[in-house]
Amino acid sequence: MGVVSRWIQDRIPLDAGRLRELTNEPVPNHLKRWWFCLGGTPAYLFVIQIFTGIMLAFYYQPSPRTAYESVAYITDEAAFGWYLRSMHKWAATFMVAAVILHQMRVYFTGAYRKPRELNWMVGMLLLICTLTIGFTGYSLVYEQLSFWGASVGANIAESVPVVGPLVKNMMLAGESYNDRTLPRFFIMHAAILPIVMIVLLFIHITLIRIQGVTEFGATEEEKKKTFNFFPDHLYTEIIMGLSLMIILSALATVLPAEMGPRADPLTTPEVIKPEWFFYVMFRWLKLFSGTVAVISSGFIVFVMFLWPFIDGAIRKYTRAKEASVWIGILGVLAIIALTVWEASVAH
Amino acid sequence: MTGRNDEAGRAPDAGPEERRGFLGKVSGLAMSIGLIGGYGAFGAVAARYLYPAKADPKSWFFVAVLREFEVGSSIAYRAPSGARINITRRGVGESLADFSALSSTCPHLGCQVHWEAVNERYFCPCHNGAFDHEGKAIAGPPAEAGQRLSTFPLKIEKGVLYIEVPTAELAQVELADEVPTGPGQDPCLFQRFPTREV
Repeated sequence: MGVVSRWIQDRIPLDAGRLRELTNEPVPNHLKRWWFCLGGTPAYLFVIQIFTGIMLAFYYQPSPRTAYESVAYITDEAAFGWYLRSMHKWAATFMVAAVILHQMRVYFTGAYRKPRELNWMVGMLLLICTLTIGFTGYSLVYEQLSFWGASVGANIAESVPVVGPLVKNMMLAGESYNDRTLPRFFIMHAAILPIVMIVLLFIHITLIRIQGVTEFGATEEEKKKTFNFFPDHLYTEIIMGLSLMIILSALATVLPAEMGPRADPLTTPEVIKPEWFFYVMFRWLKLFSGTVAVISSGFIVFVMFLWPFIDGAIRKYTRAKEASVWIGILGVLAIIALTVWEASVAH
Repeated sequence: MTGRNDEAGRAPDAGPEERRGFLGKVSGLAMSIGLIGGYGAFGAVAARYLYPAKADPKSWFFVAVLREFEVGSSIAYRAPSGARINITRRGVGESLADFSALSSTCPHLGCQVHWEAVNERYFCPCHNGAFDHEGKAIAGPPAEAGQRLSTFPLKIEKGVLYIEVPTAELAQVELADEVPTGPGQDPCLFQRFPTREV
C-alpha cells in the first residue's frame, strides 16, 4: 500500500491535507438548514440526468419512423429500461422544481444583490436552459404531446416579430415538422444544452467560490459562524443525494413513465397540455393574442434577468427597501394561480 | 454527561470521546455501505440495461416450391437483415438432408464468401479462406482453425421449403430493390418493405 501511495504521490503530489485545503472553504452556519441544499439539489439531479440520458441514448433513434418505437423498446423490452426512463422523467420534473425553488430562495433572501448580480444572471440562463432541455426532452418521444408540443412551440417562436420565421425554420429544420426535426431536437437536448449548462454551472460555482456564500444571521456574530465544507456539508449533500435516489426510485416504480399515443400529424388531440412547468406560459398564451403573449413573456424574462439592477435602483432611489419581497410574492402567486388554473380546466 | 459518567464510576473524559470515535466509525461505515450498495445497485441496473434484453427474433420464411428447385442449383437468399444465404439442393429426395443453407459470412473475420463454380468452392477474398460445398473450411485461416460456414434451419411443409432467419431489418431498401418474384423470394417479405420510388 505504501509503495502504491508513494508511486501516486510522486506523480500527483497532492496529499490529503492539501486537497482539504483546496476544497475546504468555511461554510456559513445557516447552510446547516436543509432548504439551503436547494442549490446542490439541481446539480445532483443534473448528474442523474446526464447518466440516465446517456443510458437512454444507447437505444433511442431520433427519426419520426423510429423514435416512438425505440422509446417503446426502452420502456417495454430493454432490461430496466422502464426504470431508467422513469428516473430520467422524474429527475427532470424534480430538477425544474428544484431550480425554481432555489431561485425563489435566492430571490427572497436577497442573495442576488451586489456583488452577486452576475451570478443571478448566470442562474437565470441556467433556468432557461433547464426549461428548454425539458421541452426538447419530451419532444423526443414522438407521442402526440411531443409532436404537437413541438409544433406549438415552433409557432410561438414564429410569432416573435422580425426574427420569428427564421427561429421557427431553425427549430424545425424547415417550415413545418419534418424528417430532419427530431435529430435537431435530439442534438439540442443531448449535446448542446448539456454542454452549455455544464459551462454555466462551472461559472456559477466558481463565482460562488470567489464571492463566498451569502451570510445570514440576526447579529454580526451569528453571520461569522461557519463550519467545514469537508466533511460536514459534503455529508449533508451525500445524504440529500441518497434520499433523492430513494424518492426517485420509488416514484419511478409507482408512477413509471408511460407511452402516450403515437404522434399523428393529422389529428390534434381534443385535450392537449404541455408539461406542468409550461402551464404558466400555456395559460398566458390563451389569455392574450399570440404576439402580445410572446412579447410580454419575453419582457418578463428580461426584467427577471436584470432584476438585481432594477432592485438596486428601487432601493437607491425610493424608500421601498423591501419592495422586491412584495413584488416576488405577487409574482409567485401569479405563477401558482396560472398553473393551477391551467391544470384544473380542459381548455 | 460528565455527571453520569462519574456516577457510573468511569473516567470522566475518556467515555464520551471513545463513544464519539466509535459512533463516528460506525456511521462512516454505514454511510460507505449505503453509498456502495445504493450506487452499486444502480450501476448494476445500468449494466444489465445495456446488455441486449433478448436474442434477436427469428421467423420462418418461404424459400421455394420443391418442384421448381432443381437438383444441383443454388438460391442466393437474402435475409431481412440483408445477409446472403446460399441454399442448395443437393439431392433428388424431398427430405432436409437433400438441402443445405449456408451462411455467406466467413467465420474467420466476417467477410462475405462467394461461390467459385470453376474451383467448386466458396471463397473468401479477405484472407483467402476456402470452403467446400458443404461449408467445411478447406484452405486458409478458417481451415487452420477448423471452422465451417454456419448453417440455417430449414423445414419442408407440403412441398415448400422454408428457412428460419433473424427478422431484424437492416438493408430493407436494398432488399426491396433486389427482391423479384420466383424461387427464394418470399412475396410477403417483399411487401413488408417499402419500395424506393424512382
